[in-house]
Amino acid sequence: MPEKLKTNTPVEEKEKVTPLDFLKKHIYDITSYMGLVLVAVLFVIFNNGPRFMYNLSSVLQSASVYAVIALGAVFVYSMGFMDVSIGQQVGVYAILMIIIGNKVGGVPGIIVGFLTVLVLALICGAINGAVAVWLGLPSIVTSLFLMFFFTGAQVLLMESTGLNSINLNQAIRPEGRNPYSIMLVIFVLVLTLIAAYFFKYTKLGKYTRAIGANETTAAQSGVNTIMWRVIAYMALGVCVAIGSFVLLTRTCSAGKGSGSGYAMDVMICLILGGMPLSGGMKSKVSAALVGPFTYVLLSNDLTTMGVDLNWINFVKALIFIAIVLFTCRKKDGVLPR
Amino acid sequence: MSKERIIEIRHMCKNFGPTRALRDVDVSFYRGEIRGLVGENGSGKSTITSILAGMQKATSGEMFYKDQPWAPKTMVDAQRHGISMVLQEANTIPGCTVAENIFAGRFDEFSKFGVISMKKVNEAAQKLLDSFDISHIKATDPIDRYGFEDRKLVEIVRCVSDETEVFVVDETTTALSLEGRQILYKLIHKLRDNNKSVIFISHDMDEILEQCTDLTVLRDGEIKGNLTREEMDAPDAVKRIRYLMVGREIGEAYYRDDYDSSHMPEVALELKNLTFGPIRDFSLTLHKGEIVGFGGLSGCGMHEIGRAAFGLEKLASGSVVREGKEIRTCLEAINSGIGYISKNRDTEALILAGPIADNIVLPSIPALSHATFINPADEKKLSDDEIEGFRIKCNSGKQWVNTLSGGNKQKVSFSKWTAKDSDVIIMDCPTRGVDIGVKQFMYKVIADMKKEGKAIILISEELAELIGMVDKLIIMKDFEVTREFMRSPDLKETDIIEYMI
Repeated sequence: MPEKLKTNTPVEEKEKVTPLDFLKKHIYDITSYMGLVLVAVLFVIFNNGPRFMYNLSSVLQSASVYAVIALGAVFVYSMGFMDVSIGQQVGVYAILMIIIGNKVGGVPGIIVGFLTVLVLALICGAINGAVAVWLGLPSIVTSLFLMFFFTGAQVLLMESTGLNSINLNQAIRPEGRNPYSIMLVIFVLVLTLIAAYFFKYTKLGKYTRAIGANETTAAQSGVNTIMWRVIAYMALGVCVAIGSFVLLTRTCSAGKGSGSGYAMDVMICLILGGMPLSGGMKSKVSAALVGPFTYVLLSNDLTTMGVDLNWINFVKALIFIAIVLFTCRKKDGVLPR
Repeated sequence: MSKERIIEIRHMCKNFGPTRALRDVDVSFYRGEIRGLVGENGSGKSTITSILAGMQKATSGEMFYKDQPWAPKTMVDAQRHGISMVLQEANTIPGCTVAENIFAGRFDEFSKFGVISMKKVNEAAQKLLDSFDISHIKATDPIDRYGFEDRKLVEIVRCVSDETEVFVVDETTTALSLEGRQILYKLIHKLRDNNKSVIFISHDMDEILEQCTDLTVLRDGEIKGNLTREEMDAPDAVKRIRYLMVGREIGEAYYRDDYDSSHMPEVALELKNLTFGPIRDFSLTLHKGEIVGFGGLSGCGMHEIGRAAFGLEKLASGSVVREGKEIRTCLEAINSGIGYISKNRDTEALILAGPIADNIVLPSIPALSHATFINPADEKKLSDDEIEGFRIKCNSGKQWVNTLSGGNKQKVSFSKWTAKDSDVIIMDCPTRGVDIGVKQFMYKVIADMKKEGKAIILISEELAELIGMVDKLIIMKDFEVTREFMRSPDLKETDIIEYMI
């Protein structure tokens, strides 16, 4: 604004922010971090013994896969969209990487396998982002299409091998538990930094949040909503491809059931991490880190606490609904809109 | 004549975080009065009534309704006890019929053994609509068929019943045309005659002076004065009320004070033979440093012209051209330096659920981005400059837009394009629902923009504002231009109205 418009109006008195106001404002963050601390403390208590390191590394291994995928999913969720085909994609990608890896052999095999999968994931991202817009469909419909498509592909691929599960013929991770754990930690941290950069300091994050908060306003403010929707889905695609690779380093095998349930797991992880399902300005990248560890530690705690395996899903359901009720409910006395 | 008190408010305070919206307010409302509440945006008018009607709770203080302590749990609760309120924003349920909207939450009255007779619902709704003299709205039609104005009338019908004791009208009239206003005025006078109480919030001073029996003026969350009807009829009443509202003399400078309607020779924007929807073959040339105004009734097509100039309408033929390039989408429009202030401030112009700063910088992000990196310090500087320049009342740029009052929201909507330094700005009803202090400020901004050589399209439903601000005034009726006027001190509203209706 030009200088001359400033006049001598009284300066607004700034009043002090009380600790209570701070608490109210950050209630969601605090809840999700407290949740993580709680399950972590329980984990330490229940695993206090010779198996501590072993359990810790297994927690790290499963949480890493979720975290990698969730880091990409943050961009899609911040637009208020979702992708239900993640699980089936992970399954097919793992199988493909094994088949190609074994055929070509050696390091080139792994690289060719990964690149193939990456291209597929980017195509899927483009379908969810662009085709959905062209056909005038919500992205969840195209992602449902992809889910069924990949379910079929997974079955066909496994039928063609004639086996229930296939193994990778070479080692793709460091020997020993600790070097592998360290590698995973570094890998997830680097990826988090990259995702955080894109989410906080570039157009991608700013635009996806704006689209989630109000798509019309975003479009009228110069955001090419279709293009950024495609880019966000492609970012998720990249992370799904990487996540599939991380899963492969852990299992070195894949089968008909690989990856199943991952789409919902990732969604629950993000919610536990404090991500609003409707997207928008409250979206945050930390949810992709806090959520997966809370989720995996929680499952682990429940098992070690002696909750019957058959009941674990019920307990998870209860905890899930409790968190959603606590974080998503609105208390307006306004008449129905 | 002593009037019967119906509502008493004692020592009411309301804080929104660190902002103090109401400071120890004492006020009473009586039967048989239409009490106007006036004050600038953010002075606390809506806060008082929304607490009264159960939308939110006071931080401290007491309320008495019919001499009993009053603490409504929800708006529905308040309405059941006789306090109804019509809001500024749209509040109907999309996808339902008019009748379903009117009787939402009251279907029990029409059910027998759990089966609802929709026939009875529709009949009752139509009877109610007829009794309000709005028979052109059909109870069985889907609500979405009607425009904003008719939906507002449906809301009024829903709010007011025989049990209504206190009726709150919160800036509803800005959404209504003359006809709709007349219906509302008739209604509030009827309520008053039946010894009910009406609380009337408006920014339109003429309307307040015409319709209200009493007046309460607020400023910064405090009551600054009460006027009786006699005092409102005094010759200097308007001046006195404005002084109470603003706390200083407004002065004479309100609209542009010059009658220099010249502009620079360069063309800033050209609309060539636009044909789309009901609009046929519309052309306009806008120059740098020129303000072209559009006036007419709300359905005359002027809003659509504004949208088309910003690339938001699909054209059947014709083109929008800026600097030799054709504008086909709003993205192209923005990139070529066009800005658009939508009249639908809350749904199109602003991200309500987001920080002020993010709203301000959103169109400027491509300019702030260097090799993908957007420096938060640059963003903060840009938004802080705008907040200061526009004097947006807030604690910081991090505050969310939905916590701001109407005028301050509108300032954010303006500042998006000044931050981007757009050369052509299309303003659709930029001062709708904005109080005089902010209006005066915005007129100054617009006048300064002209001096800087910006080209402006000003679409407005207020004739006085158009006459006061524009170089060339285009009047439309039924999607056609009926007359053009040039800037002149002799131009009067009465000269123009005949071309509008």
